[in-house]
Amino acid sequence: MTDAAVPVTQSAVEDFTARYLRSIGSQVEIQGDKWEVQIPEDAETDLPKGHFTLVCGTIEEIDEGLKQLHPESPFFQDVLEDAADNAPLGGVSIDASHTEIIIPDWLQEADISVTDAEFLPYYDRRALAVLFRVSIETVSEYQREFLRAIAIDTRSEETLPNLDQTFLDLTEPGRDTITSHEMTTEMKRIQELVDASRKPLVEDIQPTIDETHQEASRAADAELEEYRQLQQQREEELAEKLDRLQSRIEELNAMIDDSEQEDRVEALKERRDRKSDQEDIESELTKLRQQREQGYPEQQREIRNRHALEVVVTPVTVTEIEYERGDAEFKLTNGGAKQTITVGYGSGVGVTEEVSCDECGQPLTTDRPLGGFKEKLRCVECN
Amino acid sequence: MSDFDLVDIEVTHEPADDVLHLDPSEASEGHLHTIQAVRLQAGQPDSELRSLKQLDENSVKMLEHQVDAAYRALFEMDGKALLADEVGLGKTIEVGMILKEMHFRDTNDSVLILTPAQLAKQWQAELREKFGLEFVCNYDDEFNGFDSHDYIIASIDTAKSDRYRQTVLARNWDVLVLDEAHYVKNEETDRYELIDQLSYNYAFFLTATPIQNELTDLYNVVSLLRPGLFGTRDVFHQYFVNSDQETLVNRNELQDRLNKVMIRNRREDTDVDFTERRIDTRKFDPSPAERELYQAVSDYVKGAYSQDQGQKLVLMLLQKEVVSSPEALETTIRRRLDDQSELTQTEELESILDLIDDVDTVTKQERLLDIVEEARDNVEKGRVIVFTQFRATQRRVAERLASEGYTVHSFHGGHSSQEKEEIITNFEEQGGILVSTDAMSEGRNAQFCNIMVNWDLPWNPMRVEQRIGRIHRIGQKRQVYVFNMALKDTIEEYVLERLYHKIDLFQQSVGELSEILTRLEESGKSFEDEIFERLVNADSEIDLENDFDAMAVDLQEQRDLAEKLEEFNSGVFEGFDLGASDD
Repeated sequence: MTDAAVPVTQSAVEDFTARYLRSIGSQVEIQGDKWEVQIPEDAETDLPKGHFTLVCGTIEEIDEGLKQLHPESPFFQDVLEDAADNAPLGGVSIDASHTEIIIPDWLQEADISVTDAEFLPYYDRRALAVLFRVSIETVSEYQREFLRAIAIDTRSEETLPNLDQTFLDLTEPGRDTITSHEMTTEMKRIQELVDASRKPLVEDIQPTIDETHQEASRAADAELEEYRQLQQQREEELAEKLDRLQSRIEELNAMIDDSEQEDRVEALKERRDRKSDQEDIESELTKLRQQREQGYPEQQREIRNRHALEVVVTPVTVTEIEYERGDAEFKLTNGGAKQTITVGYGSGVGVTEEVSCDECGQPLTTDRPLGGFKEKLRCVECN
Repeated sequence: MSDFDLVDIEVTHEPADDVLHLDPSEASEGHLHTIQAVRLQAGQPDSELRSLKQLDENSVKMLEHQVDAAYRALFEMDGKALLADEVGLGKTIEVGMILKEMHFRDTNDSVLILTPAQLAKQWQAELREKFGLEFVCNYDDEFNGFDSHDYIIASIDTAKSDRYRQTVLARNWDVLVLDEAHYVKNEETDRYELIDQLSYNYAFFLTATPIQNELTDLYNVVSLLRPGLFGTRDVFHQYFVNSDQETLVNRNELQDRLNKVMIRNRREDTDVDFTERRIDTRKFDPSPAERELYQAVSDYVKGAYSQDQGQKLVLMLLQKEVVSSPEALETTIRRRLDDQSELTQTEELESILDLIDDVDTVTKQERLLDIVEEARDNVEKGRVIVFTQFRATQRRVAERLASEGYTVHSFHGGHSSQEKEEIITNFEEQGGILVSTDAMSEGRNAQFCNIMVNWDLPWNPMRVEQRIGRIHRIGQKRQVYVFNMALKDTIEEYVLERLYHKIDLFQQSVGELSEILTRLEESGKSFEDEIFERLVNADSEIDLENDFDAMAVDLQEQRDLAEKLEEFNSGVFEGFDLGASDD
C-alpha cells in the first residue's frame, strides 16, 4: 500500500490546471505568467463561466478581476474540488508497453545477473485500485490525514502490492501515458471489493495509528497529571483552611464559656457561621478525596473523550485496472552458467506465483533470495 | 513509556456512496483528472517563504540555515517552535523572517514579542530596519497598554506586572515570540505562569541554552509550547534523564520528539565565518584645560546627584558629554540653565561654561587625524567610520575633518530613510570619512568599510557591539580595525579598561553579549545605571577603582556562566542531529 499524496509544486499546479480546464472545453491562452481563460457557458463545471485572467505565482497586491494561480490560491482549490468530484469511478488498462518488467525481490537480492527479461501475456485480468482518504482525528495537534492506494484482484481478492504503485506511477499528475475508459465490473461486485480492501488498508496504517495513539496518550496523561496536582493543591489549601477554622472555633468555644452576655451572642453567631463554613469545606474535601481515591473518574472520562482517536476511512476513487497475465522469462547467468526460468507474471503486478527452493521447499523471498540454479533452483541457504 | 489505555481508538468506515452512485459503464474520460485532483488535494502545498523576495538585501543578508529554520518553524512545526541555535547564528533574523512571512500571508493580526528589558529596543530597531515591520515598544511614549496596539514588543517583566497582566492575558494573540526563553524554565515563577496562561495561536521561543541547570528545564520550556509532547514530568524524568541529571538516556526517542518542536543550528554546520577583529585602544592625556573641565563637571554631577535624584539622566548625560566634546557639553549646560532659572547651582554651571571656553584644542580631534591619515594611505578610498553619541560632537568632528581636506559624510537620526540611503551610497562610492551618531548603529550596514573609530563610548555594551556590527558582519572580507579613543583618568578610561576589556567586549558577538547582559539584568539594574552609580557614589579614586573592579568581577562571572551553559548545552545536544528528517 502506498502513500498517494503528491507534492503541490507551482509547476504541478499550472500543469494540472491547464489540462483540466482544457478537458472541460475551456480555451487557455498562456502568455508567460498570465493566462487568458475562457470557460464555455455549457461546460459541466462549478467553476465560473466566461472569460477571466489567471496570474501564476504569488503577488501581494493583485488587480481586481484577476485570479491567482498558486498552490494555496482559492482558484486552484476550486479547480481541485471540481475535478475531484467529477469522475470518481473509471477504468484504465495497463499493458506491457506501459510498464517495465518488475524483477522479483528474490532475484534482485541474489548474486545472480538477470541478462534479459521478457513478458508473454496470455489473458487479461482485472483488479480494482481504491484511493482511501484516512483521517486520524484527535486533539488538533496530533490530527493527521493521508491518502492511501490499495489494489485488489477482482477475482481472488488478493492484494497486489506492486500494482498499487504502478497505478500511482501511471496516474501521477503530468503523465499522460494512459487514458481512462468505462468499467466492466458490476456495481455490486465493486462494492464487495471496496469493502474487502478496507481490512488490509487498516492493517497497513496500523503503525501510524499506534504512533498517533501514543502521542495523544502522552498528552492526555500529562493533562490528567496536571489536573491531579491541581486537585491535590486544592486539597492542601482546604485542609489548611479547615485547620484555621477549627482553631477559630476552639477560640470561640473558649470565648463563649468565658464572656459576658453580649460578647457571647456575637461569639455564638460567629461560631455558627464558622461551623457552617467548616461543614462546607469538609464536604468539599471529602468529595476531593473520594475523587482522588477513585482516580478522578469524571476528569478521566472528559480527557479520554477529548483525546480519543477516531480513524475515519473513506474511499474516494475506485479504478478498475485491466492488466495482462501470462509468463515472464528471466534469463540468468552466474559465473559461466546460464539458465532461463519461467514464472507466472502480471503487467504492473510482477511475479504472481510463489517460487520455492527445490532443495528445502521454502519460498524464495527478499531474505531468502535465489542462491543458484544448477540443475535445480536453490535458495541462498541451500546453495 | 506511558500507559496508553487512557485513550480509545475507534475506526469508522465511511460508506462508498459518494463514489458508487455513478453508473460504472458511464465512467468518463475525466477519471484520471479526478485521481490527480484527489492526490493533489492530499499533498502538502510546496510551501515557500514568499515574502523573502521583498526583503532588501542591503538591510538583511539571510543565511541558508536561517531560511531553513524559518521554513521549518512555519510549515513543519505548525507555527510552534523552539529556535535554539547556538549563540551568534541569528535567531532574531529567523523570527524576523517568520513574522514577515506571516505578515505577507495576513496571519498576524496581533503579535506580542516578550524580551528581557535590555533587548526590547534592539528588537524593535531590527524588525523595523531589516524587515520593515513596525512594532511599538513598551518604552515608547506612544505605548498605551497591551490592549491599544496590535504589534507590541515588551519586556516580559512589564507584561507580568500587576498593572498590565490582566490586559495581556485578556487578549487572544495571533503570535507570541519569547526571547531568551530559558527565563521561563522554572514552572514556579510568575514568568512561567504568564506564558502558561497566555492565549495564542502561534509561538516562537528563542534560546541558545534551553537547559540552564537541569534537563527538566527543557521539559518545562517545551511543555509550554507543546503541552503533552513529553508526557508527564515524572515520566520524562524516568525515561530521559539519568539520575545524575547530567546526561540523557534514550536519546533517539528524545531527538525524535524534540525534532517536532526544536530547531538547533550549530556554528560548525553553518557558513557563518567572521574575519579577524583588531582592537586598538588609544588613550591620551587630556590638556590641562580639558582636565580642569572634566573635574568641574564630575564634581558638579556628584554634588547635584546627591541632592536631587530626579535628574539622574541629565547628569549622566553631562558625564558622558564632557569626554566627548566641549560642544556637546555646552548644549546641555545651556539648556539646563535656561530650563531651570531657580537652580541653586547656576554659578557652578556658569563656571563650567567658562571652562568650556578655555578649551582651545580638543585632544581627541588632533589624534583622530593620525588614524584617518593612516587609513587614507593604506585603505581603499580611505574609508573610516567615526562614531559619536552626540550631534554637537559630530558637527565639530565633521567640520574639522573637512577643513583638513577630507571627504566627509555625516549620518544622524534626523535624515529621512532615503537620505540615509544616499549618504551610505555616497560614502561607499566616494570614500573618505563617515561621521555618524548611533542612529546608524541600527540597521544600516557598511561592510565595504573595515575601519571604525569609537570617538566616545556608549555605556551600554550592546551599543558598542551594534556599532562594530555595522562593518564586522557577514560579507566583510577584510580584517576589521576598531579604534577606541579615551582620555586618561576619566570615566571613559574606567569603562574601557576595567569593564569592556575585562569581558573582552570587543571580541564578543551580539548573541554572546545578550547572554551576559540578560543574566546581569536579573539583578534589576541596567548597565548604564551601574556605571553611573559607581561613579557618583565613590568617595575616592581608590573606591572608584575597587567598585569598577567589583563590577568587572560580576561581569566576568556572568560571562563564565554564559560560556559554561553554552558548553553544557552543546555537550547535551552533541550527537543530536536536529535537522529535518529525510523522509
